[in-house]
Amino acid sequence: MLRIEGLTAGYSAIPVLNGVSIKVEQGQFVAIVGPNGAGKTTLFKTISGIVRPSAGTITFGDHDLRSIRPAQRAHLGIAHVPEGRQVFPSLTVMENLEMGAMTEAGQRDWKHNIERIFAWLPILAERRGQFAGTLSGGQQQMLAIGRGLAGSPKLLMLDEPSMGLAPAIADFIFERLIEIRRQSNLTILLVEQRVAEALESADHGYVLEAGRVALEGNNQTLRADDRIRKAYLGM
Amino acid sequence: MTQALEGFLQALSAGLLIGAVYGLMCVGLGLIFGVMRVINFAQGDFMMLGMYAAFYFFTALGVQATFGNTFGPFVAIVLAGPVLAAFGYFVHLTLISRVSGTRTSSLEGEGHYAQLILTLGIALILQNGGLLVFGSVLASIRTPLSSSAWELGPMFNDISVFVNKARGIDAVVSLVTMLLLTLLITRSRLGKSLRAAADNPTAATYMGIDVDRAHRIAFALGTGITAIAGGLLATNYPFHPFVGVEYVIVMYAGVVLGGMGSIIGAFWGGMTIGLVQQMSTLILPTQLQNAAIFVVFLLIIFFRPQGFFGRMVERT
Repeated sequence: MLRIEGLTAGYSAIPVLNGVSIKVEQGQFVAIVGPNGAGKTTLFKTISGIVRPSAGTITFGDHDLRSIRPAQRAHLGIAHVPEGRQVFPSLTVMENLEMGAMTEAGQRDWKHNIERIFAWLPILAERRGQFAGTLSGGQQQMLAIGRGLAGSPKLLMLDEPSMGLAPAIADFIFERLIEIRRQSNLTILLVEQRVAEALESADHGYVLEAGRVALEGNNQTLRADDRIRKAYLGM
Repeated sequence: MTQALEGFLQALSAGLLIGAVYGLMCVGLGLIFGVMRVINFAQGDFMMLGMYAAFYFFTALGVQATFGNTFGPFVAIVLAGPVLAAFGYFVHLTLISRVSGTRTSSLEGEGHYAQLILTLGIALILQNGGLLVFGSVLASIRTPLSSSAWELGPMFNDISVFVNKARGIDAVVSLVTMLLLTLLITRSRLGKSLRAAADNPTAATYMGIDVDRAHRIAFALGTGITAIAGGLLATNYPFHPFVGVEYVIVMYAGVVLGGMGSIIGAFWGGMTIGLVQQMSTLILPTQLQNAAIFVVFLLIIFFRPQGFFGRMVERT
């Protein structure tokens, strides 16, 4: 579904990503882990078109993403739940969700989607009239996820949903994500620093270090890998 | 005592009426600043163009012949709105978009320096171009209503307040325009996407909102709104190609008073300025009207630097 090959991208002249290749198949849950500054967020921004690649290819379905304008990519079915939540603070919870449903599919499935989102994340139904800027961090993260789901995406990209949250709340959001995945069979690409949790629930994982894929493999091989156990899992 | 009260009520009503039009004028600028974060120095000159557009619609393009002297001017003024909106759309497409929106992330100071110089340049070109095309003679959009008044009263103590008919209709047109704009911004999908693009352009792009297009629409709307306000002012005040300079300062004062980025705030900012301007004539000579505006402006900003509706901090 999403195929990235030899991707090099960055800001000004210095590349942050250096020949990264990543593949996400339909229905898969893929996790990308790695330390701060490895280029995880830049990778997402390149997929969404905010950062321009200097080399390599990104294809989504049959589309060569490099020739598609950033605002059009959401309409192809890519939902980006950005790092640091980035909800629209002066819009209400409901209006934020409506913004997530700007795509044609989102318009079509609005009723169905909003029901499912409210069932998965009931706090959003409770706070629907409240300005998003007044929500707590965890609630904003749930809103950001709900906003991503509202567009009926084919691919949901989650950039560090646990960032800046208390561990208990981060755990809760992880549980919700797994439940959402189980019920919807959505294809998910997750970037996460909570390596243990991310690798535990993902089908396939990549370790990104200093702009390169240092390691990849399925759930078992990665968790059994000595380097991973030492560097990330503290074992 | 009775006379003082009568004077007060007279100034209050005049202030409310002119304030409603100033409010609309400020909303046009507030919309552009609020959505795009572009400081537009040419806004006063867009307004000047709106005044001339209404003037020529009325005198040369048959509005006077069709709708008559009394209400023709108001029809012409409302027609000038879409024309100037189209002009604003074009100016954004060809010029402003080069130094704003998604292109600016790579520019120093997010393109603000380039925006200042560009809009100042557009202002100068419009002023001097206006002088060339329209001439330096004062023009005005007079209707018989400009020199007649409704009498409210006599109320208690035989007090009567006179309301200039043209200004009364100006205020009504202004309020209706403001109401329609508010509905558009708060209720429609387009309006919500404009606000989303203002809140967080990057996240708006992730939602599939074309941010540059949103900016173009906001710029066009803001230009059209200010043009209508300009036409309304022109029913009572004569104008010339340099008239924009006089008003652009008031516009900025109104937008800052209301709180940068708040559209409804810009309206109340403009309203406040209208009230202060008219009420100050009760105790100060007329020449000090504008000085009074800025004294009050400084006082309000001193005690409430974020303006009426501005936010000091925002959780993100």
